[in-house]
Amino acid sequence: MNLAEGVQIVSFGILAFMMLASAIGVVLLNNIVYSAFLLGVVFVSISGLYILLNAAFVAAAQILIYVGAVNVLILFGIMLVNKRRDFARIPNAWLNQGVTALVCGGLFALLSSMIIATPWSISTAPIAGDAALVEIGKHFFTDFLLPFELASVLLLMALIGAIVIARREFFPEEGEDLSAESNLTLPERPRELTGGRR
Amino acid sequence: MDSGIDLQQSFISLLEGLGLSHSLAKVVWLPLPMVLIVGAVTVLALVSTWLERKVSAAAQQRIGPEFMGPQGLLVPAADVLKLLTKEDVFPAKTDPWLFALAPLLVFIPVFLSFLIVPFGQNLVITDLGIGIFLWISLSSIAPIGLLMAGYASNNKYSLLGGLRAAAQSISYEIPLALSVLAVVMMSNSLSTIDIVNQQSGYGILSWNMWRQPVGFLIFWIAALAECERMPFDLPEAEEELVAGYQTEYGAVKFMLFYAGSYANLVLSALLFAVLYMGGWESPIPVSWLASLLGVSENAGWFQAIAASLGIVMTLFKAYLLLFLAILLRWTVPRVRIDQLLDLGWKFLLPISLVNLLATAGLKLAFPLAFGG
Amino acid sequence: MLKFLQQVGDYTKEAVQAAKYIGQGLSVTFDHMQRRPVTVQYPYEKVIPSERFRGRIHFEFDKCISCEVCVRVCPINLPVVDWEFNRETKKKKLNHYSIDFGVCIFCGNCVEYCPTNCLSMTEEYELSTYDRHELNYDNVALGRLPYKVTEDAMTTPLREFAYLPKGVFSPHDLPKGSQRAGQHPEEILKEIEAAKAAAAPSEKSTDSD
Repeated sequence: MNLAEGVQIVSFGILAFMMLASAIGVVLLNNIVYSAFLLGVVFVSISGLYILLNAAFVAAAQILIYVGAVNVLILFGIMLVNKRRDFARIPNAWLNQGVTALVCGGLFALLSSMIIATPWSISTAPIAGDAALVEIGKHFFTDFLLPFELASVLLLMALIGAIVIARREFFPEEGEDLSAESNLTLPERPRELTGGRR
Repeated sequence: MDSGIDLQQSFISLLEGLGLSHSLAKVVWLPLPMVLIVGAVTVLALVSTWLERKVSAAAQQRIGPEFMGPQGLLVPAADVLKLLTKEDVFPAKTDPWLFALAPLLVFIPVFLSFLIVPFGQNLVITDLGIGIFLWISLSSIAPIGLLMAGYASNNKYSLLGGLRAAAQSISYEIPLALSVLAVVMMSNSLSTIDIVNQQSGYGILSWNMWRQPVGFLIFWIAALAECERMPFDLPEAEEELVAGYQTEYGAVKFMLFYAGSYANLVLSALLFAVLYMGGWESPIPVSWLASLLGVSENAGWFQAIAASLGIVMTLFKAYLLLFLAILLRWTVPRVRIDQLLDLGWKFLLPISLVNLLATAGLKLAFPLAFGG
Repeated sequence: MLKFLQQVGDYTKEAVQAAKYIGQGLSVTFDHMQRRPVTVQYPYEKVIPSERFRGRIHFEFDKCISCEVCVRVCPINLPVVDWEFNRETKKKKLNHYSIDFGVCIFCGNCVEYCPTNCLSMTEEYELSTYDRHELNYDNVALGRLPYKVTEDAMTTPLREFAYLPKGVFSPHDLPKGSQRAGQHPEEILKEIEAAKAAAAPSEKSTDSD
């Protein structure tokens, strides 16, 4: 065993432990902010595993998208919500938790049996390395074109939905008396939608 | 362009000549460039703090630091010494783990990004295939550190500053990445070395700044916003937020933020020089000079001079941009948060998209000039 | 469509204009870089205060007639005049006088209105103390005269820009006896008197007629 292999095995161990430990932390910790930060650790360790698999581009994309965008947005969401409410103790909480544990354990057993049972056909193609970027691009524009475009349409829908929610024009909530509300809050005035700053 | 001198090869063969095995020589070589670059980056960041003081002073008709060392050059050293020896305070009710982790999360990605900054054909730590993409993805980690600092400080100013900083850096990352993408499209590679090589040949005329004038401006604006420099420094707007997410920090942890921000500025300037101003290429191509003087390009001494000229050129360009950033700091007033987001989303983003589209079109139309 | 195009055009115009203004601002900042530093290496160097400098107020106890005009003209009635009526001489006798320079805005109204000129402005401006109550100067403290910068052996006195010779921008290392640009008041006075003297004979002759 030479130096490179040793480093690879040790870093795989570290990354796998980091990932599993922080994933368990995400689920078990009571503080939701800790959970969000630990989710970032999970994503970073996954990207580390990608690097170990010689997929540098995927690793960087993982960091950019999951850590830089998804996790930051989750944190944003958590920090902008200022509802502070104590959790009410549910009397039969153990029942809920027991059922959850059962379902999760079942899923885990199912997935692991699937992993063990499947005859994995390990690709014999040479590792693409830095050329992977070109390969990914080719796949995106040939055999994976439809899913790629569908994903972009999905993102566009999410974008438009976000804009609509963010720019909503004064719609009162159901069953609320407007006249009483307008004394304290400023009703949003409808704005012209077509750009235009003046 | 000749590949120039290869330090790694010569170092390893030197060690092998001393009787070490090849792999052992490689192991000895491995940490050297990293240590060198960490030291160099620290020095560059310190120099930029000194430059900030001096240029700011000159712009306000002052003298600036004068008595600490020649022209006050030792002020950064004194700063570091002071911050290292100060007491490391955890304010009451902070979250000690997150509070200590946040500056590291801001600091480490910046230093890691220097992996891909080339100072010459072979003067780069790693010529990664993903090159410039590494920088973009690493710089997206910083907002998490900022949010962490804001949350852990248990201070409303810190939290607001952290949120502002995160909002700012995620919204300016997009125009930044898009303008980088246009350059990448022209050079057909993400590698910083290839990007520079694509700009070589005709000296100053072949630099990307002439082919990407819009991207040039967008990149600089977005880079200033990413570094939280003056027109966009609202995360630490002292009139509103004391010092933003840095409010509760002191001593070593503050130093990490401070060094991180200046290293980030230096990094942006260096990458700007690499992407748009021909990196280590001098305005007049070195090979022309060689043929003009009748010197062989492969002569050892000529290559040494060319390599050092490359380093000087890269640093000169970077510091020119840094100087511009400092001048801008004393020229442009701070924007409001809504103006900032307006500029990012409603102006820079569409324009950078149009720029990308135009670059693609031009590349198809004139493959010779825009990298076929 | 046309409206949209016009919007785009307006937007572009605004962007170009903004860029132009930023460029102008940058050139101004850049121009400032090559200007002479205006700073003075205080405490080693000090600027000589100008003639009408409004520094700490000087008070002459013996001249004061306790009329309290200074109190009345002061925007916040700051000077404290403690006097009592002397029945034998039928005059006010001043016991104490004080001004709190922590509150004073150095407007100079009291100096302006003092009927006996017992108040005057000095060129002293280094008033910092560790306790704000120390800034409440009594008649003894008010009667002290400040050090002149030009006579202080520890500091280099520097002239202000308006007091430099013509074409000189740096107050350092001026040749001895160099004077500021333009004429001094006494020179102007002399000139006027000379002109008057020259004009006087003819005037007299016209007057006598």
